[in-house]
Amino acid sequence: MNRSKSILSEEQIHALEASLAGTLQRVTPPLEVVNRLRERIHFPEPRMIALRLRDWQRMFLVFGGVMSGMLVLITIARALFYLVRRHA
Amino acid sequence: MPDTDFNEEDILTQASQGDRDAFGQLYERYLDRIFNYVYYRTGNLHDAEDLTARVFQRAMNHIQNYTDRGVPFSAWLYRIAHNLVANWHRDRSRRQEIPINDVPVLPSKGDHPEKNLVRSQEQSTLLRIIRRLPPERQNLLILKFVENMSNAEIGAIMGRSEGAVKSLYHRTLLSLRDQIGDQNINLDND
Repeated sequence: MNRSKSILSEEQIHALEASLAGTLQRVTPPLEVVNRLRERIHFPEPRMIALRLRDWQRMFLVFGGVMSGMLVLITIARALFYLVRRHA
Repeated sequence: MPDTDFNEEDILTQASQGDRDAFGQLYERYLDRIFNYVYYRTGNLHDAEDLTARVFQRAMNHIQNYTDRGVPFSAWLYRIAHNLVANWHRDRSRRQEIPINDVPVLPSKGDHPEKNLVRSQEQSTLLRIIRRLPPERQNLLILKFVENMSNAEIGAIMGRSEGAVKSLYHRTLLSLRDQIGDQNINLDND
């Protein structure tokens, strides 16, 4: 191929374009990648998670719910323990 | 390329109002293109996957800002992808070479295996040369050859005039010719 500084012949352009077209071909992402991406994009964004954590009303309800649930579980456990010891 | 059932303007309006299903349609439509762009700019599947997800997450978070800018949605997406890829390159201390096994090479039918091997080696070398070009030249080649875009479409994405893209393309070919000559790649497609 002749190097004539800043001039490209038609032949050189065709050869270069053919090589580029052969090399830069569209790839199809693997199906598992497509599925992972699809799942990932539907997850809540980190920004939304941060916003939720800043929502005090919701946090209060969640915290209250967890504490109430634990209290119920402890009460049931204590009652069972008491009954088992009484029968023993 | 345009679908008859796909009215992008309506979909964009819905998506900018927070409709995730509408955004999902845009996502399905542009996933392949953005993935290809990122894949060729990074050279590996893992980073291409990660960056593609981040492109769409960023687009989803900022889609309200898109409508005022007057550029095609695809151009806007490519610009996001371009910025993320640029950050990715900046974050890495050195540029990663494309592993030869990670380069998709499509053998031609009926060719002798040895000929295919030579061709695939030449393609790998050409890819390495392309990845050493300045980013805007890489963008130009990817958009032109992978996405089959016209100079006008490329100009809209790169924020340049059609003439400027044409000129940049010519300079890119010149540069490639010189570098290919140094690497002794055979460009004859016989």
